[in-house]
Amino acid sequence: MDLLSFASSATETSGGGGFDLIGTILWPLKWLVELVLVAWHWLFTAIGLPAAEGLTWVLSIVGLVIVVRSAMIPLFVRQIKSQRKMMEIAPELRKVQEKYKGKRDQLSREAMSRETMALYKKHGTTPVSSCLPLLVQMPVFFALFSVLNDVTRHAQAGIGGVGLLNAELTQEFYDAKLFGVASLHETLIDAINSGNTTAIIILVTLVVLMIASQFFTQLQIISKNLSPEAKTGQAYQMQKIMLYVLPFAFVFSGVFFPLGVVIYWFVSNLWTMGQQFLVIREMPTPGSDAAKAREERLARKGKAIDSSGKVVSMEKYQAEQQRLVEEAERAKAAQPKRQQPVGKQRAKKQAQKQSGPSGGNGPSGNAKS
Amino acid sequence: MSVLPSYAVGVGRWTASDSLRAIPLLPRNAALGLLHGYRATISHTYGDVCKYYPSCTAYSVAAVQQYGAVVGSAMTAARLARCHPWAKGGVDDVPLRENFRHDITPQGFVVPGSTGKD
Repeated sequence: MDLLSFASSATETSGGGGFDLIGTILWPLKWLVELVLVAWHWLFTAIGLPAAEGLTWVLSIVGLVIVVRSAMIPLFVRQIKSQRKMMEIAPELRKVQEKYKGKRDQLSREAMSRETMALYKKHGTTPVSSCLPLLVQMPVFFALFSVLNDVTRHAQAGIGGVGLLNAELTQEFYDAKLFGVASLHETLIDAINSGNTTAIIILVTLVVLMIASQFFTQLQIISKNLSPEAKTGQAYQMQKIMLYVLPFAFVFSGVFFPLGVVIYWFVSNLWTMGQQFLVIREMPTPGSDAAKAREERLARKGKAIDSSGKVVSMEKYQAEQQRLVEEAERAKAAQPKRQQPVGKQRAKKQAQKQSGPSGGNGPSGNAKS
Repeated sequence: MSVLPSYAVGVGRWTASDSLRAIPLLPRNAALGLLHGYRATISHTYGDVCKYYPSCTAYSVAAVQQYGAVVGSAMTAARLARCHPWAKGGVDDVPLRENFRHDITPQGFVVPGSTGKD
């Protein structure tokens, strides 16, 4: 919240001529956000929607979500491909996990993380997506917030935004009302002050839906997509508490953010939910409940997952398993049997015995090394 | 969320008589407070995303402990830039200072190091 109020106050001073750092950084993003908004608005107007209608602008915001989230699909695909490769290193990974099984102290967990990460690097694969994409979304959201926030100020001053959102469109956006009543630049506070019941109902409904979608997404991950190892320890307990606490952060967003931003956030949340649903269904974390459910689903269709993570028919799978078992047996047979070390005297005696018919691995065969 | 590396926690203890010497450490401890708060809450909603050990937040904690709020933040920014989708990942530790004069508490805050007099 501090950052946001800082951002909005920074944009307010930008007219004063002072150097505005955040405004300068956000300028290209704001320009892009305006471009996307105006492009969608142009498209919807072209197919016959009324230009000044609130719904048209709301759909443009939905379009913006689609563009932003679609731009991140290549990253998502990368992650899926990486996940497939994970299957190949599963045996080595399991070895590391076995080594540190039941050890919950900090040093063991650190050593385990180090070894796991080194293993990922060695094979050039990782189940995680990296941190930067999470951060990249934030300036986009900031820019949108700033664009929508500026609409009020710019419309009153009779000027346009930084790019394609010219004075005329700005005024149109400012006047646009969803369902003919709720302005896109209104926050819940504005709505309460002006006694606009419909706007209050819309905003409260959106906030409740946002909390619900966030909660549902997290619940799906926690209840279905965690491996048994991840379900132990403090981090998991914390995750469970956060599941119930964090969604309520959206109450703030509903109170302080204009309707346009709330709509953007809500649609974006829905996208996340859908994407997560797909991930849990089609590429669950190995060992999790969701992974077991997927195997069962595939088995019912007469299919199975082979050792490289691909879906194959049951016959192929069984043939492969058969082959793997045979290979393992052959490898075992090819390995030289360990000989129990024997003393010189005894070796001599045994060599003499060998010439007899009952010679062979007397005690050494049973001895446990 | 990944566990803090062993060099980011210590056995240092806060003593009131060191208050004056702790003043220069206020900025980094304020930053550490924010980082620990973030790691305890919001970080969990993202799950495991970092490609490195220590994770970006854990790296940030160690960098701020070692180099202070300003340099530590710059190092964190550099690390975040390294944690992109095409990165290989792996183990990436904070280079420790050879002449680190402070102590680190079990909670991961920085207190003035013992002077050796007492």
